[in-house]
Amino acid sequence: MIPRPLKPQYFQILLALAEGDRHGYAIQRAVLAQTDDQVRLWPAMLYRSLAKLEEAGLIRQADAPADQPDDERRQYYALTETGSVRLREEAEMLARWATAARGAAI
Amino acid sequence: MDQAPARLRAYRSLLRLFPREFREERGWEMERLFVDMCAEWEEERGKLGLRFWASLVWDTGKEALGEWLSLSRELFRPATALTIGEHMSALMGDIRFAFRQLVRQPLYSGTIVLLMALGIAGNAAVFRVFNGLFLRPLPFESPEQLVDLNETAPQWDLEYLSIAYRDFDRWRAENRTFQSMTAIDYGGGNFIAGGGPQRVSFLAATHDIDEVLGIEPMLGRFFGPEEDTPEGPRAMLLAHGFWEQEFGGDRDVLGKTVTLNGFPIEIIGVLPTEASLISGADLWLPLRLDPTDFTGWGLNGIGRLQPDATIDQARLDLTSIHKAMIDEFDVNEISSPVVNSFRDRYLGDYRLSSGFLLAAVAIVLLIACANIAGLMFARSLSRSSEMSVRLALGAPRMRIARQLLTESLVLASLGGLLGAFLGVWGSEALVLPMADQFPRWVSFDLDGSFLMFLLAIVMGAAVVFGLAPALQASASASASSAARSTSSLSRRRVMSFLVTGEVALALALLVVGGLTVLDVRELGRTDPGFEPEGLISYNLSLPSGRYGDHDARLAFVDEYLPRLESISGVEAASVTSALPLGSHWGRFYVAEHAAPRAEDEINPVVLTRVVSPGFFETVGVRLSAGRPFDDFDGREDGTHVVIVNETFVASHLSHVQNPLGARLTGGTGTPGDDAMWMTVVGIARDVKHYGVDEEMIPGVYFPLRQEPLSGFQVALRVRGETSAAVSAARAITTEMDAELPVYDIEIMTEELDQALWTRRATSWLIGAFSGVALLLAIAGIYGVISYTVGQRSKEISIRMAMGARKEDVLRQILRQGMVLVALGVGLGLVVSLAGARLVTASGLLVGVQATDPRVYLGVTLVILAVAGVANYLPARRAAGLDPMHVLRGD
Repeated sequence: MIPRPLKPQYFQILLALAEGDRHGYAIQRAVLAQTDDQVRLWPAMLYRSLAKLEEAGLIRQADAPADQPDDERRQYYALTETGSVRLREEAEMLARWATAARGAAI
Repeated sequence: MDQAPARLRAYRSLLRLFPREFREERGWEMERLFVDMCAEWEEERGKLGLRFWASLVWDTGKEALGEWLSLSRELFRPATALTIGEHMSALMGDIRFAFRQLVRQPLYSGTIVLLMALGIAGNAAVFRVFNGLFLRPLPFESPEQLVDLNETAPQWDLEYLSIAYRDFDRWRAENRTFQSMTAIDYGGGNFIAGGGPQRVSFLAATHDIDEVLGIEPMLGRFFGPEEDTPEGPRAMLLAHGFWEQEFGGDRDVLGKTVTLNGFPIEIIGVLPTEASLISGADLWLPLRLDPTDFTGWGLNGIGRLQPDATIDQARLDLTSIHKAMIDEFDVNEISSPVVNSFRDRYLGDYRLSSGFLLAAVAIVLLIACANIAGLMFARSLSRSSEMSVRLALGAPRMRIARQLLTESLVLASLGGLLGAFLGVWGSEALVLPMADQFPRWVSFDLDGSFLMFLLAIVMGAAVVFGLAPALQASASASASSAARSTSSLSRRRVMSFLVTGEVALALALLVVGGLTVLDVRELGRTDPGFEPEGLISYNLSLPSGRYGDHDARLAFVDEYLPRLESISGVEAASVTSALPLGSHWGRFYVAEHAAPRAEDEINPVVLTRVVSPGFFETVGVRLSAGRPFDDFDGREDGTHVVIVNETFVASHLSHVQNPLGARLTGGTGTPGDDAMWMTVVGIARDVKHYGVDEEMIPGVYFPLRQEPLSGFQVALRVRGETSAAVSAARAITTEMDAELPVYDIEIMTEELDQALWTRRATSWLIGAFSGVALLLAIAGIYGVISYTVGQRSKEISIRMAMGARKEDVLRQILRQGMVLVALGVGLGLVVSLAGARLVTASGLLVGVQATDPRVYLGVTLVILAVAGVANYLPARRAAGLDPMHVLRGD
């Protein structure tokens, strides 16, 4: 079980995988893009997070896509069903919080 | 694999920080990501740069630590939820089992307990001192607001000048950063309350002192502003101890009038016991000074800051007030206020030496832990078959790791307990002789932080030396036999690493120890400039009531000294304002025809002493030129004379060919000034007035007749038994004046010894700790080589069976061990040389250079020699193996 709310790096990884299966470096690039270059997941942080998410059943290891023969030597990761449900819930929660914050700030 | 670029290899070794399982599972992916990132950074920025590597190291270190922590959490989480009772009984079972295991191997357990106790004891003892000096909050209300006030005058070469009352008066009136401040003076007097006279000490302070310290009188009241003026009514408070001792705790003392130095004074209150933390004075009096009457600098100050004010703000605040006074008083250009925290002012000198001690004991503990870890590593191999059996029988891996950790904890607790006792006991010996070197508010009582510290280092040491072998033993127990041989290789590597580190740490510690020991020896040999053996002294003060004028005082001394010299065993007697290591009285002097000093040139303060003619003979101060004083010097009809020391000649008389006959004055030396001129008749060798470890400053001596004293130190040069001489001197004193107390009797050799006590204690301790460190390192070397040889006995036997000669085997094993030692020595030398600058800056060394080659060479030779022996013994045993016996045995 991973407690709610998700740690920011877990959320970003799930989000990056929502767009399709990715390997480690691609996840790092995607998270950088998602966060306007604010968050770089360095290798140890990234792979410990992947290990945790995998253990909790939110992601799984996946085969390299057929159109990427060069990437055979990379491990791909994919979102599981549980993972995508959890991502949606977390995103909605964040949205509610953001709305509340906007309300308070005015 | 070996073709990997250097940086990938570097990253790979970084990844070794992770537990093996994680590394094996994810390592290759992380390396791949690393390669991709390198390519990206180089493309974008041209090179990787420091920021890349720093982030990478940080990321790896932090996550590896997290992984280890969650791994160990997992190990100790039970498979099924247990009740607390079940937990407890499982734990008790573990502990019982651990005890059984340990008792079965008394040598192994005993060694570990002893190593641990040694490490803990040193740490406990030194931490107790450090805690008392620097960590424990001061025993006053809101102690963080209390600051020490003083004035400084760099141009006079004085770090602390003391405070002038007129400055204090203005600071107190105009500051915006203090709640309150007080100025304090200390003194002594002859006290009469019904019975005979006695010598008492007093503290005289402005009326703000109770507010500053936050104390209330136990009885009666404090003095107020009306009593703190020169004409105000005289009042005093009794210290609690003095009240109990002299008045039997009688509450009716209030309103009584007693006599101090001939003045009748009313007792208005009794102080609480905690007032004695500020001063051991018997009486507290109002200061009664007039700010318009300048009497020089001589006061101490304590301030209580506003809750939100900082020390820097306070200093700026006082400085602007102080410098605004320059228009009225030129001298405020030279002097400036200083505000210090209490600790920095009084204990700052000890901060570095106790820091060194703390570092030294930490190193000893580290070496002890490394050794214990080494022992446990060695044993975990011999136990791996036991572990395999237990695993095969179905014991969960976590259960086994927990068992091993419990054993470590039991050993650590036993060692810690023993060490704590040794430490507390040892620190008594360390602390007791130190007590009167520190302000009275310093206390070395055992307290909560001491206990917490002990607990923390015991637990920390147990986990450090226990967890790693526990994890590894349980891992290797589960691994195949193929993996086991690699794990024994990696274990050997870990142990070699430990040995190199131990040797390096021991060497660094031995260097510091050697330097301090050498330093104290040099200081002990330093010529103090006089002859301390057989010199004793006591204080005497002639009350102004009966010895009002110069003639009366001189008449007393003229009769007194010959009578003292008639005591059998007393070779010479004289009086002086201050013997070596005594008080400091500084003044300024100008020499005739000297070029005026430049604006920014230092005008050094001159130690001024008044002595009777026999002083130089009595104390054993040699004159390098000229003559001592005689009975005619200083008479009103004669010329005024002075004897100067060698440093004074260098600082004030460098412009004259022959200092004898030169003239100097305590005034300005300008034509309108009528201060008297004095002729130099002698040059005395420098006396180490402030201790043999301090630089001497310029000094002058006046003949007693020129500046008759009302209070002085009497010096006796005694041959043979001193106590008989003191009682005879006391009898003569009482015979001459029954109301004169003889006090502060001192034996000069003891005073000199006492002055070096902190240095000597520090050097002993560092020396002792470095000796322990060396022993531990030797034990470590011996253990590792024995272990390695044991591991390789089969290989060695095969080689010998194939015809290798004994000498070859011996040489090979020796070389292998000595390479580790040499590596350690090299590393240790680098560390010590780098640390030498720190040692120099600390003021720990006075007599020797921090890079003294004798110490480095000596220590290196000692380590190489003993390490050679520790290496040779197991090597010889290996070379003496009977190959057939070993091979058949397998």
